[in-house]
Amino acid sequence: MATIPESPVNDPMLDPITGENLVIAPGHTFKSVTEEVSRIVLTGHTPLGWYFGFALAGSIVIMLLTAISWLVLKGVGIWGLDIPVAWGFAIINFVWWIGIGHAGTLISAFLLLFKQQWRNSINRFAEAMTIFAVICAALFPLIHVGRPWLGYWLIPYPNSMNVWPNFRSPLLWDVFAVSTYGIISVVFWYIGMVPDMGTMRDRCKSKVGQYIYGLLSVGWRGSVRHWMRYESACLLLAGLATPLVLSVHSVISFDFAVAILPGWHTAIFPPYFVAGAIYSGFAMVITLAVPIRKWYHLEDLITLRHLDNMGKVMLATGLIIAYGYAMDVFMAWFSASRFEYFMIWNRMFGPIGWAYWVLITCNIVLPQLLWLRKFRTNPTLLFLISLVINTGMWFERFVIIVVSLTRDFLPSSWGTYKATRWDYMTLGGTLGLFTALFFLFVRFLPMIPMSELRVLLPQSKIRPKAEPLEAGD
Amino acid sequence: MSWTGDSAAGTGQARRGPADLDLNNLDDGRREAEMAMETVKDQNEMAALKTGHEPAGEGLLTLEQARAKLDGKTGKKYWRSLDELADTPAFHEMVQREFPTEAAEWIDPVTRRGFLKVMGASLALAGLSGCTKQPDEQIYPYIKQPEDLVLGRPVYFATAFPFPTGAIPLLVKSDAYRPIKLDGNPEHPFNRGTCDIITQATLLDMYDPDRSQRPLYRGEVRPFIEFVAAFRAMAADKKATGGQGLYILSDTVTSPTLAAQWKKAQKNFPQAKWLQWDPVNRDSWYTASKTAFGDYYDAQYRLEGADVILSLDADFLSGIAHPGFLKLAADYANRRKLLPTPSNPNPEINRLYAVESTPSTTGFKADNRMAIKASEVAGFAASVAAALGVAGAQADASWSSGPRQKFLSAIVADLKANGGKSAVIPGDQQSPAVHLAAIAINQALGNAGKTVVYTETVNPMPAIQGDDIKTLVADMQAGKVDWLVILNANPVYNCPADLNFEQAMGRVNTIVHLGSHVDETALGAHWHINNAHYLESWSDARAYDGTVSVVQPMIDPLYGGKTTQEIIQSLLDDPDMSGYDAVRTNWIGSLPGADKDFAWRKVLHDGFITDTAFQPKTVTAKTGSLSGTPAASAAGTLEVVFRPDPNVYDGRYANVGWLQEIPKPIVSMSWDNAALMSYETRGRLGLAEEDVIEIELNGRKVSAPVFSVPGHPDDMLSLALGYGRQNAGRVGSGPGFNAYLLRTSAALLFAGGAKITKTGKTYPLAVTKSHYTDHRSVFAGGDGSGTHSLEGNEALGRGIVRYATVADFKQHPDFAHDENIPEDPKPNETLFANWRYDKNAWGMAIDMNSCVGCNACIAACYAENNIAVVGKHQTKTGRIMQWIRIDTYFEGDLDAPRAHFQPMTCQQCENAPCEQVCPVGATIHSPEGLNVMVYNRCVGVRYCSNNCPYKVRKFNFLLFSDFTTPSLKLMRNPDVTVRSRGVMEKCTYCTQRIIAAKIAADKQNRDIRDGEIVTACQQTCPTGAIVFGNINDKQSRVAKLKAQQRNYGVLADLNVRPRTTYIAEVINPNPDLDEAQIQSAPVNS
Repeated sequence: MATIPESPVNDPMLDPITGENLVIAPGHTFKSVTEEVSRIVLTGHTPLGWYFGFALAGSIVIMLLTAISWLVLKGVGIWGLDIPVAWGFAIINFVWWIGIGHAGTLISAFLLLFKQQWRNSINRFAEAMTIFAVICAALFPLIHVGRPWLGYWLIPYPNSMNVWPNFRSPLLWDVFAVSTYGIISVVFWYIGMVPDMGTMRDRCKSKVGQYIYGLLSVGWRGSVRHWMRYESACLLLAGLATPLVLSVHSVISFDFAVAILPGWHTAIFPPYFVAGAIYSGFAMVITLAVPIRKWYHLEDLITLRHLDNMGKVMLATGLIIAYGYAMDVFMAWFSASRFEYFMIWNRMFGPIGWAYWVLITCNIVLPQLLWLRKFRTNPTLLFLISLVINTGMWFERFVIIVVSLTRDFLPSSWGTYKATRWDYMTLGGTLGLFTALFFLFVRFLPMIPMSELRVLLPQSKIRPKAEPLEAGD
Repeated sequence: MSWTGDSAAGTGQARRGPADLDLNNLDDGRREAEMAMETVKDQNEMAALKTGHEPAGEGLLTLEQARAKLDGKTGKKYWRSLDELADTPAFHEMVQREFPTEAAEWIDPVTRRGFLKVMGASLALAGLSGCTKQPDEQIYPYIKQPEDLVLGRPVYFATAFPFPTGAIPLLVKSDAYRPIKLDGNPEHPFNRGTCDIITQATLLDMYDPDRSQRPLYRGEVRPFIEFVAAFRAMAADKKATGGQGLYILSDTVTSPTLAAQWKKAQKNFPQAKWLQWDPVNRDSWYTASKTAFGDYYDAQYRLEGADVILSLDADFLSGIAHPGFLKLAADYANRRKLLPTPSNPNPEINRLYAVESTPSTTGFKADNRMAIKASEVAGFAASVAAALGVAGAQADASWSSGPRQKFLSAIVADLKANGGKSAVIPGDQQSPAVHLAAIAINQALGNAGKTVVYTETVNPMPAIQGDDIKTLVADMQAGKVDWLVILNANPVYNCPADLNFEQAMGRVNTIVHLGSHVDETALGAHWHINNAHYLESWSDARAYDGTVSVVQPMIDPLYGGKTTQEIIQSLLDDPDMSGYDAVRTNWIGSLPGADKDFAWRKVLHDGFITDTAFQPKTVTAKTGSLSGTPAASAAGTLEVVFRPDPNVYDGRYANVGWLQEIPKPIVSMSWDNAALMSYETRGRLGLAEEDVIEIELNGRKVSAPVFSVPGHPDDMLSLALGYGRQNAGRVGSGPGFNAYLLRTSAALLFAGGAKITKTGKTYPLAVTKSHYTDHRSVFAGGDGSGTHSLEGNEALGRGIVRYATVADFKQHPDFAHDENIPEDPKPNETLFANWRYDKNAWGMAIDMNSCVGCNACIAACYAENNIAVVGKHQTKTGRIMQWIRIDTYFEGDLDAPRAHFQPMTCQQCENAPCEQVCPVGATIHSPEGLNVMVYNRCVGVRYCSNNCPYKVRKFNFLLFSDFTTPSLKLMRNPDVTVRSRGVMEKCTYCTQRIIAAKIAADKQNRDIRDGEIVTACQQTCPTGAIVFGNINDKQSRVAKLKAQQRNYGVLADLNVRPRTTYIAEVINPNPDLDEAQIQSAPVNS
């Protein structure tokens, strides 16, 4: 500390030069960082709250299993689907979860390539969140089909009948996009965890833990050669994953953009969906980060700087989707298409018009508070805004999918949509599944990458003038 | 044999299973009774609840007691005793305990009898009736295959559906001797192959699993022979008194043979009475005919020669409830097709005026329509008559000023100008005064003998049924009725409420009920005899033109039912004469030619006797018969109008799932009836749709949900009869409310002075089409009216419905392609390569001018394509499975709209949005341009439905098809997959018929001829609105239709290139009445 020049700013959490929040609280050493992260996993006393939370989430998972079992027994008719609204909660939830899954890869890959080092302390659980969100998302295409046991027909596998899937269908593109994304996310997540696995192996007291972490660390010894290969692998994977951030949701948006339905058939969907995905993804990271840093006392590692930055990202992506909404309305007028014009009118003032105004309020109006630094740096307020945004993004998909379908080209076939209890149980169930998986994650894996965090410490900085390292390292 | 007709002697060997061992010695009828006991037990209990009787039971005998009783007895005596024991309910209990509960199903009588009949048919009936059905399970293979049975190749038999308003001649498709599809008889002069919704649905009526299966005595199963014994004993007794105390109550008699039998029976029983009662009957017309002509006649309208038609609340375009519907609709539509032919290069369109109360498709097809209360129609008719100078006609004051006067005088002027070329048609649901006025007007205009002819009645025993039922109940109350034989009538349910038939039944010694179901009346009767369906029996009937049509069995009675003829025959001297012999004897003498047997075989082959149509009678209405017009109900009071339901008619088809599910015309409602009223009235009474109101009429009350209908007259409620059944079966019991509870013998048609109160409850209605009013401002794309239909406004604006008046059409023959309408993009404006169609390219053209919205096509599609019935809740949710629907758009003010009917089914797009998005290729393009569905490949992602702009794809959200009910399995079309859950389905232009025709053509090494393939909807369409064929063949009918300038594709601007196109409407409103709402073409914003 002594080396830092005097500064008019007294707050130790603020960078004296830029005046910004620090990425990591001052005073941390390699050891303290490692200690702080690994103690959560290696503690012998699992907090009671964890048991309570996991039991709660687990019971919701059981509800999800019930809902899915009934679905397989009876058919998708237990949901509120009908003709014309043949896609309902399942697809909304799918798109919503996939969107949430974007933040992880964006933080770990995109920001890695752009050398945004502040990402380091949040990327691990953001990636975990991505994987769990992708699991929740991938569930829906599987169960939403009429005959789930034949869902594998969407996969192009050689078979005796020489029947191939239809490569013109965006749903097939989805299969590739989501499965690629899922695989890359898991691999990236795991590769990123290897050095930490080594740390865990070394610090773990129990035999079982040592064995498992030892397996997972795949012989990590921290040699320079290991580090070099690790860094290259991360960079390569980041290079692979970065286009995926853009492509996955673009492909998902093709499900709609390729269709001819007014409200779906629009060229702006790919960028607008990606922005929306990042928007909701960051909101979910905040939704998770705020309670975690509070409960596990990680304020030093997940600092206000992170919250502030994520708030800014949300603000920016929120404005992009606001532009998308504006373009929807503009194009309805500019295209002079009666169908488009009616679609927008119906979206705003039709029988389900309230959903549109919920979405505008949640996604555009309230997030404007993020212009204020106070809202970005106050964890509680930011947490509330993130909840609002996630609600809004769910409604965005509801409006796009359901409201567009209720009234399309032929007035005689207009219909409506009413979700059933099974719809809500499935939506709630995946929230439970996500939470349960997250509970397992925070309990058994280091949720903050220790190795990457150490890089952020002043000690790791290579300075032109050699200075003595602090003791205790 | 005829009395023990179904006694299955000797079938013991054909059956297997444990039951054989112990029951071998019981006689067959008895055994059948025991097997049925379990199912009948429930009915007993129901009967007991209903009638207050205790279920018959003389002390229960346990197994132990039975054993004790039989202890020590041996040999034959033992078995005879058990046989006797079988008479007691205790024995049935024992049977139940001794065998598994499924025992009854194991020895399904259908199976057993079916087997015998397959064998029997091959020997005795081959080629003649071939009436049998395949067993459910294989018992024995054929030793010798019946000569005419080639499995997989259907055979066709002619028969007729006897309906109160005249028989509908049919050609029945039969697969392995199971009737699987009913279509009009194409050779019959009356209907020329067309058909209607109710007739189509009687197929399901026959296979109805809830049909009564056994004769019952006081709720207990008895062999039919026991009834015969009792009935003949009664007949022998009564002979002495000439039949005093013997009353027969039937529904409308349609069979000349039956009438002849009764005439014979009357010789033995001159005091016996035959009375008829159908709640929907022709009393008004018969009364008017009797008054005007002195006798009962039928009026036949020959619309091919009518330039101007005036409907006086006559719904002659929506279904067979109106006598002569099929011919009237065809003749009407032929004058609307405007298709130039070499013989008639400039076809002239007719003009239809409608004055009506309850909105009907006839009213909405009318070029000028006025909705008035039912009680005002008589005043209108009298005013028209007065204006035409009919002696004695009194003009009604309300028609002497304002828009009404304008309307009246325009019609009068038009009628006057078209004397002899016009027709005035009165509705059967109107009072005799309206019919008298129509007779007088037609006579004054010189139409009689030209466009209107009078013939003898189709009903061989015409009667004023409202008087009949009153006479009967009075005699019952007076204790004069000893034996009452009810033939196919259900008076407990549908008798006028004031007569209280059920209570009067208590004063009759013996009531016999012959019916297809154990219905409300059967529960109160002593004897119930299960009726054979018309597809299972021999009879005859006249089509409305008079042509004698033979009713032949297509299958032996599934449940051994008996016919009306069989009952009546036992009153005659030769009681064992079969139905076949009775019919044959009745007609064979009058057949032409020397070889009567040959002539008879030709009759059976054709299904009708040639040249038996009625000859017109020269009759003149008595002058001055028109006196006194019944007063209209006072202004401001609520009037209640009773109407037969367009689907379930008077309630007799309540258990037919197809009829319940198919949305009714105009209201698009299924599964229910409702108190229909105008938007204005509903608003004034402060009611919302689906609110339940209590309707009070002369102290009688009924609760009904409210529904508003465009074009409904104010201050009037329309109530459809036929709902609120108690004992119709699993489908028909429950839905709707019973309007008969308000209907009294004094006011069978309509009544004034109703009061309504809001109950505060609501009742969900399954309406398949949304109906919103357009509250959008002009800026938002609306018309700012607030009273127009949103769907209607959008449909016109989007060019989905296009029409013009005759004058506009003459000026702009290409009005359907107005510059304001987005038009079809060029064929190459697509990313994907165009398909090539080298040989056949199937297409369809639908003439919107001809479509009268009668729903016959929907029923035909249900039967042809094994479409599942999903039930009310699923229908309400939006999961109805119909492949073709009639889209009804209302244009203009919803209180006086114009309506457009558009049959909508898969358009078989060449550039199909569904095909591109299916991930597994389950919906693909055929080389002939069909969008075909591969059910096996469908995973059920439903993307195709989302991307279908017409939303004609239907998804099996749950397991909708019934895979378990045995009788329904027999009904299915074997050429069409029965879809399971999780797959998408849709219209494929009846691809199975295309394939069948291709195979036939391939065998003869030729091309398919135009007209060789007809789709089910096309085949049945009464007006020929649907034409299917090869559009590559420029000489085909469909290609010629599509070559018209009026041809347009719905939503073709999406570049989907639909194969189904529509011929734009041309309407012919009276220019003097032309309202501002008529636009020549839709506007595009």
